[in-house]
Amino acid sequence: MNDKNIHKHDVLVVGGGLAGLRSALAACDKGSDTAVVSKVYPLRSHSVAAQGGINAALGNSPGSKNDTWKDHAFDTIKGSVYLADQDAVEILCREAPKAVVELEHWGTVFSRDEKGKLAQRPFGGAGVPRTCYAADRTGHNLMNTLFEQATSRGIKFYNEYFVTSLVVDQDRCCGCIAIDIITGDLHAFASNSLIMATGGHGKIYNRSTNSLINTADGQAMAYRCGAALKDMEFVQFHPTTLYGSNILITEGARGEGAYLINSEGERFMSKYAPKAKELAPRDIVARSIVKEIEAGRGFEDQYVHLDLRHLGAEKINERLPGIRQIARDFADLDPAEDPIPVQPGQHYSMGGIDVDIDGKTDLAGLYGVGECACVSVHGANRLGGNSLLETLVYGKIVGENACKGAKKISNINVVKDAMDRERVKLKGFLSGEGEDFATLMLELRKTMFDKFGIFRDEDNMQEGLSNLYDLKDRFEHIGIKDKGKIFNQSLLRILELGYMLDVAETVAVSAIKRKESRGSHYRTDFPDHNDDQFLKHTIIKKEEGKSPSIYFSPVKFGLFPVKEDGY
Amino acid sequence: MIIRVARDKGERYDDYNVDNINGITILDLLFQIQEDIDPTLTFRYSCRGAVCGSCAILVNGIPVLACKTPVSRVRDMESGDRVTLPSENEFPDGGILVEPIPKLPVIKDLVVDWEPFFKEYRKLEPVLKIDKNPPDKEYLMGKDDKRELEKYTNCILCALCWSACPVIGNVEGYPGPAALAKLFRFYLDPREPNNIKRLSFADKDNGWWACDFHKNCKAVCPKGVPPNLAIGKARKELKGEVDRK
Repeated sequence: MNDKNIHKHDVLVVGGGLAGLRSALAACDKGSDTAVVSKVYPLRSHSVAAQGGINAALGNSPGSKNDTWKDHAFDTIKGSVYLADQDAVEILCREAPKAVVELEHWGTVFSRDEKGKLAQRPFGGAGVPRTCYAADRTGHNLMNTLFEQATSRGIKFYNEYFVTSLVVDQDRCCGCIAIDIITGDLHAFASNSLIMATGGHGKIYNRSTNSLINTADGQAMAYRCGAALKDMEFVQFHPTTLYGSNILITEGARGEGAYLINSEGERFMSKYAPKAKELAPRDIVARSIVKEIEAGRGFEDQYVHLDLRHLGAEKINERLPGIRQIARDFADLDPAEDPIPVQPGQHYSMGGIDVDIDGKTDLAGLYGVGECACVSVHGANRLGGNSLLETLVYGKIVGENACKGAKKISNINVVKDAMDRERVKLKGFLSGEGEDFATLMLELRKTMFDKFGIFRDEDNMQEGLSNLYDLKDRFEHIGIKDKGKIFNQSLLRILELGYMLDVAETVAVSAIKRKESRGSHYRTDFPDHNDDQFLKHTIIKKEEGKSPSIYFSPVKFGLFPVKEDGY
Repeated sequence: MIIRVARDKGERYDDYNVDNINGITILDLLFQIQEDIDPTLTFRYSCRGAVCGSCAILVNGIPVLACKTPVSRVRDMESGDRVTLPSENEFPDGGILVEPIPKLPVIKDLVVDWEPFFKEYRKLEPVLKIDKNPPDKEYLMGKDDKRELEKYTNCILCALCWSACPVIGNVEGYPGPAALAKLFRFYLDPREPNNIKRLSFADKDNGWWACDFHKNCKAVCPKGVPPNLAIGKARKELKGEVDRK
């Protein structure tokens, strides 16, 4: 037993993206001994891929002078199809201006208007231009700023450490076990509070905009320890991902005025959302595109066109330089000259670890924040520009709360013993001889996209669920050919596959349970929403040795009553 | 097509025969090898969209991000004016040679240790230092200032410039192009009072003055960042050739 492999911190953050870094900064600023554990170097986190922007009712734009946090909250709640918890949304929108200005003071180079103030652009589902941005590289810029802040404060980073499990003792999370990827050695971490900030679970789907690392790690580890997951059936499909690679083409493109055009040259969104057109919420635009393609008005039966040509090269260079670069690099075309071929693709996980507005899960000592968690500000459909905001606003709140909660000192021996048990388990994986992970992974992603995609129905979902159970059985006999220690990616990818299979099951079971359509969850066999029965959160918990338990919990109202109103 | 890949710490090269290379990138190719032929092949990846900076490698001696390099374009790149670095092995006939980026210790296969690169980054205190009492709202900033800053804030810290810079490895303690561009970005930032001090951080023989203006940094940057420009401007400022604002 090597003591240098045992670590102890008041607050341990798992994940080095925006939510992780912001919560680590908050905990550190409150005086807690704080460390971040990340399976990639933090700057490689998926947050860097966020393009379009971050919402705050600053009222800087001529079109948004009278904008208030309440307007922002209303748009968010309406976009969520009333499933968002209104107390959580109030906090998000009230704190938004402060959170954005704080990042500006910390160094983010935001785009500016003529007066030098933060520029704001229109975004889907928003009544006025409310989205602040750093060209179309908003995530990249925010991430660099937070990484700079964290580095300057001397926060301890364990980079390229892959967390394999949480440690629970006497119904309390008291740390985690991780593989140092570079050496292959196991490490034990004792914590008083552990904040899960591992991002979304997009890679359970094919056709996803997500980074390859978004493999449901945090959700699965929390779920395996008995923490509840919430609203897992709500998976956002972004309307415009690049045909072929499914790299994101920001909603900011439509915010700046780009058109969606079918193969008959028609700007078809006016049929589906006469008022908002291309800037209707994402669920509506994504379904409209699929309907056009299915009606034979797509190109090659696969995609439609996103046309930026009328914006002109100058505006594209100023506001959307990253999109121009992506189109050139990955589609070999210049959007100033040619339309971009786009199709909907998986983009965001609205559901996640069930947390309250303090970031607490139902397991003491465990907190969750960002895309891996569900405080429920996005409900059934997230508005563009609200996810970056959530990472900053709730990152701060959860980081501060984790300090308050860090009273009980975790016992080093408990994590030491857990590490020994983990070593035995991993040895078991490494000696496995059997089916290859890659086949299972591809089947999982195909099953999820085909059976739990943009349009769902009972028969297809039941078939999908039995596919998942078959895959889970096969996973029990998975083989591994790389027996090495240093940077063993085969082992990591098998562990990730295990996380993804568990979380995919919760998405599937939750989706089958919700017999209505709401936001991103669209069932052709129940095409309408049914508030009486289903205006509720879906809560799913693991049960040892049997099917998960699933029940509904009430939505918190208080600001705006439910209202039928189209786009 | 033969893909020849440097293995372990460069002690050996393995050849893989891959048939289906239509429309794929070098990163896709590496995944194909890892998933279908040799699961022990190791390389870094994350966003696969040229924004995270994980997958910097050498392809036929050319420093690139694997994710934004189509296999079909490797031939054109060779005949173009790309920066080519010396390789340890022969290019396979009509095939592709894949190696880790040089000037950083190799951990395994295509994975290098970034620490020497980030150590220099951290030394230059890359964080905005503003007044203790900032305004209630945002600082005002002109569009021109923003545009100038953006040239350097687009850096994704992938270390391609470090690997292509002839000064790295020759001048002990040289911060390298990315760290100097980052430093210059804070010098430029109108929100930082006394930002003029920033230039002095690297005002030494192995700082701004060590650059030989090969301009490899700008040539290999996947985001079009021009560290050479930053270094040239910093030197002019220090020599007093530019009127201070």
